[in-house]
Amino acid sequence: MTIKIIEPFSETGSRADLIAEARNISKTYAEESGGARMALQDVSLAISPNEVVCILGPSGCGKSTLLRILVGLIQPSAGTVFSHGRQLHGIHPGASLVFQNFALFPWLTVEDNVRVGLHGRGLSRSEESDLIATTLEKVGLGGVDRAFPKELSGGMKQRVGLARALVGKPELLCLDEPFSALDVMTAEALRSEVYRLWSEGKSGLSSVLLITHLIEEAVFLSDRIVIMDANPGRVRAVVSNDLGHPREYRSREFQDFVDHIHDILTAVHLPDVPVEPRIPHAAVAERITPIPAVTLGQITGMMEILHDHGDEMDLFDLNEFVSNELGQTLTVVKGGELLGLIETPGDLVKLTPEGKHFLQASVAERNDLLASRMKGLGIFRMVLQMLDSAPEGSLEDEEVVAAVAAHLPREPAKQLSDTVCDWGRTVELFDYDAVREVWSKKTLE
Amino acid sequence: MAVISSTQYQSATGDRASWLVDVLLLLFMAALVFGVVQFGRQWLVPATPLEHQSLEIDLSPWALPVYSLKSLARGFLAYGLSLSFTLLYGSVAAKRPRAERVMIPILDILQGIPVLGFLPGLVLGLVAIFPNSNVGLELACIIMIFTGQAWNMTYSFYGSVRSVPVDLREVARLHNFGVLKTFKTLEAPYSMIGLVMNSMVSMAGGWFFLTTTEAFRLGDRDFRLPGIGSYMSEAIDKGDRMAQAYAVLAMALMIVATDWLIWRPLSVWSERFKSEEVAGEREESFVLSILMRSRLLMQFGEWRRRRQSARREKPSALAPADQTSQVRKRTSAPAWEHSLPLLGWLATSAFGGLAIWGGIKLTQLIWELTLNDWLKVLISLCMTFLRTTTAVLLGALWTVPAGIIIGRSRRLSRKLSPVVQVIASFPAPMLFPLVTMAMLWLGVDFAFGCTVLMLVGSQWYILFNVIAGAQSIPGDLRELARMYGVTGWPLWRTLYLPAIFPALVTGLVTAAGGAWNASIVAEFVHYRDQTLIAPGLGSLITKSTEDANFPLLCAGVLTMSLALVVINRVLWKRLYALAGSRFMLTGKS
Repeated sequence: MTIKIIEPFSETGSRADLIAEARNISKTYAEESGGARMALQDVSLAISPNEVVCILGPSGCGKSTLLRILVGLIQPSAGTVFSHGRQLHGIHPGASLVFQNFALFPWLTVEDNVRVGLHGRGLSRSEESDLIATTLEKVGLGGVDRAFPKELSGGMKQRVGLARALVGKPELLCLDEPFSALDVMTAEALRSEVYRLWSEGKSGLSSVLLITHLIEEAVFLSDRIVIMDANPGRVRAVVSNDLGHPREYRSREFQDFVDHIHDILTAVHLPDVPVEPRIPHAAVAERITPIPAVTLGQITGMMEILHDHGDEMDLFDLNEFVSNELGQTLTVVKGGELLGLIETPGDLVKLTPEGKHFLQASVAERNDLLASRMKGLGIFRMVLQMLDSAPEGSLEDEEVVAAVAAHLPREPAKQLSDTVCDWGRTVELFDYDAVREVWSKKTLE
Repeated sequence: MAVISSTQYQSATGDRASWLVDVLLLLFMAALVFGVVQFGRQWLVPATPLEHQSLEIDLSPWALPVYSLKSLARGFLAYGLSLSFTLLYGSVAAKRPRAERVMIPILDILQGIPVLGFLPGLVLGLVAIFPNSNVGLELACIIMIFTGQAWNMTYSFYGSVRSVPVDLREVARLHNFGVLKTFKTLEAPYSMIGLVMNSMVSMAGGWFFLTTTEAFRLGDRDFRLPGIGSYMSEAIDKGDRMAQAYAVLAMALMIVATDWLIWRPLSVWSERFKSEEVAGEREESFVLSILMRSRLLMQFGEWRRRRQSARREKPSALAPADQTSQVRKRTSAPAWEHSLPLLGWLATSAFGGLAIWGGIKLTQLIWELTLNDWLKVLISLCMTFLRTTTAVLLGALWTVPAGIIIGRSRRLSRKLSPVVQVIASFPAPMLFPLVTMAMLWLGVDFAFGCTVLMLVGSQWYILFNVIAGAQSIPGDLRELARMYGVTGWPLWRTLYLPAIFPALVTGLVTAAGGAWNASIVAEFVHYRDQTLIAPGLGSLITKSTEDANFPLLCAGVLTMSLALVVINRVLWKRLYALAGSRFMLTGKS
């Protein structure tokens, strides 16, 4: 069984064949307080008939945005979207969507919620009722047509969402992290359910597009896995999944494939490139890079966990241990890396000597260590310089945010400046008055 | 969405109870129809020109129910107008960001304008257009009430529409819901709870303007309308104590009745639209449970459902029950909805044109005033400002402690809240002459007594809001205080006062608005054969109306409006920002 990595977008076959296609899509959002966020950058993706495609990536990588662009809910800032060879205007007529948080109308019964899926099709009432009843049977909700969503469990609510999506006989079923709001066992049941519904091949369902951050889910369901990266959102790799059906989680091939995906993900997200070098003097032009939106507490917590496990862990073991979404774990790891407390050779996350020393130190020593590390980061130096040259040594919040936005126009400036503020205050690099929203120099005591 | 599902509410206690309810319902409908017809007849009564007429008011207690019903009818007509305005304005403002940037500030300003200042002008204008019947007066009354009801409902609706979850909006767009369908299925249910609550508040505010307009007299011209407001004013004129008592009683009864028969059931019914999944305390409404037992209503619901399904039971083009046949592709939104943006533009330009024309005419009018006149206006402004500020502060002095004491005890607040609600809804102007009489009897100078008048109307808003604020102080903080033995003044300083601050600001804003509005009728009072005037902007406005000094009237109203807008920007906005940033009880703002 070969595992090939396909470079993005090498589909052949006529365009009219493809259910949906996105070519060179970019999407930028302007931030309120200055700067912009590039949710998607030059992404191309095509969905062929009779396949299950999974988009895999951390949160914030634009996978939901990409899905909505393909379906026609969002307009891209650049690039074109096609449906069966023709440019898409409005909503894709053959697509339906299942939402992460179910998106049911709380004041409509199950039956009426599913009826929404048939809106505008000009069917008579009895035809609608028949279709609804059949679809509800198919997803296992035969007896609850008169119930209200608040009476149902999470799993049942998502089944209603599924029924609503399937009742109109779509050719493309899209699912946006459909099981992440459910407990593990219910998710498992629904996952197999979705697979069964697709593989039976009835009711005109041709392809499935699934968004997820769970690697095993992607391996279980997909024929093709699209791996995306965040900031900006890009497709980094497309992997073909040739595992035979039925697939079993514990089988050798399955686990091998999962490991391989792990490798690809680490290569994508934690490349073995040296972290920003420490520049002791501001003589050289500043290289200002963004810092991840995590708290020092989270970084410290992760370091303690590593320490408990012998000072190093596999990235995916660590992720499973903290039961987090991979994206969140990655962000904390990157924060630790930036502060020189953690390093990531290959798949491993391990404490640096400074990191080990940090854990033994007292609170005051820890703060000093962190403070000196932060002063080596471009963005902190910039803020400290601004504070030095400010009148009365104080700055308005907006000035700092504007400066951050000016240096890093593609980043969410307010979020960045909040993180800088949080870190800096904790180690007493500067002061912040939340009521007046003013940053001020630390007065020497 | 049927209110009743016939299978769910079979009356277990037998048919007798439900038949009784049906009979009552039928009687009520008959009375309603009769009332509407009578009311309509009154509008078209060709009377002698109003200039020379004086309204005859029968002071016997048996005439009171009719008068009350007439007042009620006006209130509800105005409510209908307010509701339509709310739905339209709120929808547009919530969905079009460019329009929003203009529409919300306009709403802000409209909320701050002293509505009563426009009463004389409105009445005179409409009477001039309809000199031979009561239509002009009725219209004036309804418009006045509308301006007292519409704004907070619009804000609530606008806020609800904006906070509809993105997911649900995407579902609507995904299935090509048109504007109307989105409204019916998504926005209306979502905003229902807020709308019902604000409707209650609006109706209450409407009584104020209703009774004042009904009792409106200008010099020797009688512009009164038959209703409870005019009944009361006549009773005061004639010094008929019993009639006065009856009027107050009737007003209170009306307030309680509308609350119990209409708003509470509606409020309980709207609970079904709560989007939270938490099983909270379910409010009960006796009236609603009774209505649920009505077989008439059940059968009506059934009949409607059958008609609906029959209507859509047309032969379809699809082959029936064929599992593999493709369901037809979705049609796009109905064609007429595409013309909505055009209509919007027409409406906006018409409105804009009207506003510009009005502005020009206004400037022409004011141009005639001398510097002396303007000086008079400014001094009056200062006087009224002093009075309203004193009134609000005096009110706050006792209502803040009282509100906290009531609010922090669940027992007390449960008993007293509804009472305070009714008192706050009671239209103070109805009682003004009585209070004036008391002041005169005590020998208090009217310039001071006037402040008391304003106080009477506005202090209840502060009390009401402070009670609500005190009720929502989290138990955690109180336990903490008890554990560390914090009592007395330190407890108030560190816990109670800061905690109620946001609610207090809301109360102060409402009270101040009420006081300014009241100044127009409080600073210039006709009591029996006396005319009591307290120097201020309110009396300037009223006096210049009586003297038909229109330039001065316009200048007065304009100045008051501007003053309120400025106070809003400079004071209230800052206080709200302070409350939001430092005093919110719930996490990060």
